[in-house]
Amino acid sequence: MTQRISWLWLILLLPSLAWTAPNPRLLLPEFSALAQKATESVTITLDPSLLAMAGRFLDSNDPQDAATKEVLKGLQGIYVRSYTFDQDAAYRESDIDAVRNQLSAPGWNRLLETRSRKSHADVDIFIMTDKNQAIGLAIIASEPRQFTIVNIVGAIDLEKLHKLEGQFGVPKLDVDLQPAASSPKK
Amino acid sequence: MKDLESQLRAALRPAAPREAFTKTLLAQISLTRQPRTTLRRTAWLTASLAATLLLAVGARQHVQDLRNRESGLEARRQVIEALRMTSQKLDLAYEAVKNQSASETPGA
Amino acid sequence: MSNAEEPAFLDAQLKKARLGDRAALAVLVRAHQHSVYSLALRMLGTRELAEDLAQDVFMQLNAKIASIESSQHLAFWLRKVTSHRAIDQLRQRSRLQTAPLEEEALSLSVVDGGDPLLHRHLSNLLSQLTPPARAVVLLRYQEDLDPVDIARTLDMPINTVKSHLKRSLDMLRSNTPGTDLTQRTGDSL
Repeated sequence: MTQRISWLWLILLLPSLAWTAPNPRLLLPEFSALAQKATESVTITLDPSLLAMAGRFLDSNDPQDAATKEVLKGLQGIYVRSYTFDQDAAYRESDIDAVRNQLSAPGWNRLLETRSRKSHADVDIFIMTDKNQAIGLAIIASEPRQFTIVNIVGAIDLEKLHKLEGQFGVPKLDVDLQPAASSPKK
Repeated sequence: MKDLESQLRAALRPAAPREAFTKTLLAQISLTRQPRTTLRRTAWLTASLAATLLLAVGARQHVQDLRNRESGLEARRQVIEALRMTSQKLDLAYEAVKNQSASETPGA
Repeated sequence: MSNAEEPAFLDAQLKKARLGDRAALAVLVRAHQHSVYSLALRMLGTRELAEDLAQDVFMQLNAKIASIESSQHLAFWLRKVTSHRAIDQLRQRSRLQTAPLEEEALSLSVVDGGDPLLHRHLSNLLSQLTPPARAVVLLRYQEDLDPVDIARTLDMPINTVKSHLKRSLDMLRSNTPGTDLTQRTGDSL
């Protein structure tokens, strides 16, 4: 009897033993089926050790490398999945739901949501903060023939990332990148 | 109190096989691998063997260094590519915001 | 982590083992035999079959040690070979899919502070899973692999891994008295 009671107590399931602290790392699917259809697939998985290794091969005397090194400081991971297709509507929005659903978890806030009729591109930017410090960034970009998911984990310096855009030959983003209060979900 | 997964982890901790099994296994393995034999060589042969080994070690280290360098350069390339793609997508958002602002501007 | 488990130590032993050092290979066998044997036993259900499988795996390792590049690769290789061979055996002997585990498999783990009856019950339920699902659960909760690594180990799409995990946990939970079916797993899939 005592054993049965102890058994029941032990099996008691807590409501959620999920992360007690928010986790900025997303679980990115392999998208195997989509990868087979894609004309180009990009899968980048850079954990802390690979980032450190890359950092050792960035030349501080080169402006782009130096700026990149600055961005990498404090980062613990960069994960990218990008698939390009040779025709429109080769993927469905529901294919990306597995990732979007994770961004509904506590801790993630939508920083920006854009819908462009001109380029037919939808870009959602999410940020996770802890004690007013950005610790995670997620970007989901859906275009007619391509979708891209970027997940950056770590102490992201948005200002440095902002500056980096100029280094890569794209105009600087003039929007305010300071983490906002939680934005209404879609 | 623990949840189901914690109980699973506790229930499924690896345990050791019988010691007799391990001894038998290692004995079988030893039958298939010959111990390194110590060869008796003349001093000259020993020296040339040592020199050959040093060259081999040096070459191996060189190959390892090259591999490390390749890995590091590949990691660097991937970092740059990842950040380039991030910037590209941020630029998409920028364009959308800019276009929206322009359309909302009176007289635009 | 004890010295015998540290990657640097095992890498050093691996280097020696690749050059024919028997003592070094013995160190590697002892470092990994718990994992291989437990995986085999919980997959196959009997000590005899588990020992046969573990022996085959380590003999194969003996033959292929030169192709093992690192201690990490070694761990991956052992789990992969053990899992695949166990699944193959179970598929050939379909009657074993639902056979209850032998006493040793049921009482394999002795956990301080845990409930041994619960552990036996969970282990018994495990034997009711299909071979691939059982392998997924063991790699997750015995070997502490994440779904991506499980997918690589079993050459299985990651969505299939997650599906096996979810269904298996649901089955385990629903067959364990006192569990609340409305409470979701705390594990992030």
